Amino acid sequence: MSDMPITPPVDTIDYRRRQKIGRIVQRLVIFASAIVVAAYVLAPVSWLVSSAFQTETEIVSIPPHWIPEEPTLRNFEAIFTAGNDEPVTYDTRSGTDPAAGDFIPSTAENLLPSMANSLIVATLVVILNLLVGVPAAYAIAKIRFWGRNASVYFILITRVIPDIALVVPFFLVIRKLGMLDTLGSLVITYLAITVPFTVFILIQYFEGLPDELDKAARVDGCSRFQALIKVFLPLSMPSLVAVVLFTFLTSWNEFLLALMFTQTSASQTLPILLASFTSDFTVSFSFLNAAGVLAVVPPVIVAIVFERYIVSGLTAGAVKG
Amino acid sequence: MLFLAPVMAVLGAVAVFPIAYSLYISFFSMKLTRPNRTPFVGLKNYTDLLGDEAFWGAVWRTVSFSLVSVTAIALIALLVSLLLNQEFRGRRILSTILLVPWAIPYVANALMWKWIYDSSYGALNGLLYQLDFIDKYMVWLGDQDKTLFLIANAFVWKEVPLATILLLVSLKSIPSDLYAAARVDGATVWQRFVHVTLPAMKPGFMLVMIYETMMAIRHFDLFFILTEGGPGSASHVLSWHIYVETFRNLSFGSGAAMSYLLAIATFALSYLFIRTLGRKI
Repeated sequence: MSDMPITPPVDTIDYRRRQKIGRIVQRLVIFASAIVVAAYVLAPVSWLVSSAFQTETEIVSIPPHWIPEEPTLRNFEAIFTAGNDEPVTYDTRSGTDPAAGDFIPSTAENLLPSMANSLIVATLVVILNLLVGVPAAYAIAKIRFWGRNASVYFILITRVIPDIALVVPFFLVIRKLGMLDTLGSLVITYLAITVPFTVFILIQYFEGLPDELDKAARVDGCSRFQALIKVFLPLSMPSLVAVVLFTFLTSWNEFLLALMFTQTSASQTLPILLASFTSDFTVSFSFLNAAGVLAVVPPVIVAIVFERYIVSGLTAGAVKG
Repeated sequence: MLFLAPVMAVLGAVAVFPIAYSLYISFFSMKLTRPNRTPFVGLKNYTDLLGDEAFWGAVWRTVSFSLVSVTAIALIALLVSLLLNQEFRGRRILSTILLVPWAIPYVANALMWKWIYDSSYGALNGLLYQLDFIDKYMVWLGDQDKTLFLIANAFVWKEVPLATILLLVSLKSIPSDLYAAARVDGATVWQRFVHVTLPAMKPGFMLVMIYETMMAIRHFDLFFILTEGGPGSASHVLSWHIYVETFRNLSFGSGAAMSYLLAIATFALSYLFIRTLGRKI
């Protein structure tokens, strides 16, 4: 654009007008693509949400009702009241044919406890990650010592290993420790998945903070540990938030290991319970979708609340080098 | 080093030990169906795999699934990140919306797509029928030729946001005077894209390729919930094969051997991407 002559040309082409049209076209293209992207992302979720608010008769209509005609909360009600009395089915309530899929699984009452399990595991994993990850990242970023590079590679390599390769040895070890079907088994194994990532992100961030901070703190009489707590931690809030977010989501969402190590409602996490519903062919579709919505809401809220930290946390971690 | 001790202890226990143990098990014929006889068989678990058609079929399906989905993820994420790098009204809302698939648990994602692909009441059937693209409802996940693509589609939808964020981070790191300089030199939009934007995105692409390839070849949840490897063996990928071999046939030795091969392959691929796309991590 800047290679155009600045003085108005003698011929009849109106460059200014052309530029203006160009800008409008550009706007339109951007606007249209934004709509397409938003639709692509939102369409599947909206349908899940919409069907969670439909009655069982409405949800099996052909073609589907994109927007519920008689929105209902009874799917959620069924989840929250499950276990209070006799196993509740829509059948006992509405009197329709149970073979039509109008059925709430008896495990529905485990849904809220499994959410609690997920929450406990995720919180513990986050705390342990910070406890072991922060000092390690600080040491690697700020202290010159023998084996520093080797430590970085060691930590990275542990994350390249597919979870499925960890399943068999983990299973044997956890069985031997008698920890099958406990939340502890999940906390331990999730550390393997999350710690390398935590350390990796924090290293990059700490390296970005000037060494002088460390020196100044030491001159003022801080120990290494005090320097870390008093000087570096307050400065690294964005990356800490990013780490908390990633670790929380990973633990909340993990499925494969939880599938292997949990058997009862004592330790089953939300994804496991959700998956167990889907294998039941008589289960109510609207109930299943409501359960799906419940599983989606907490992580999405967490992600949206901490949205602005994600990019800054990643910027610290990704573009160096 | 005191600061490093906790991390090393944790990783040693939860990552290094299991991997070493996995290698160890892979040399034994360990079947839970006969728990007291676990003879050492050396490389037999591995050599058996070489002649196993089911194994090679699973490898081949894993490769095609990963190729299709990683390519799609990289392309879509490139376009979306270029879009989000523009200043326009509603950009922030769009980038927030984009986080939704990323935060959704894999299982919930699988559940959602299972419902969309449902043969009787699913949205895909409903939509295509209303638009007159099909004249009767289809059993989408029952179609051998389409299954892997449909699962890939669900996987791509879930993975695009994170890939986009990774690429956007690279885009944002490009100094604007690079573009100014290119303009002064008379570069067209396309030339600026090829010579300024793309090279600057290399680190981002490296991360995306490593991460998404790893995610794709080890992916399990969608296969478990959508198809259980079926119909027939149409979606019988390696991770599913390992699961069946280990936890349904209870053949831990050969399961471990396969897991170990998968770990090595993943590592080799990541190394390859690092060497071709980036200088260092």
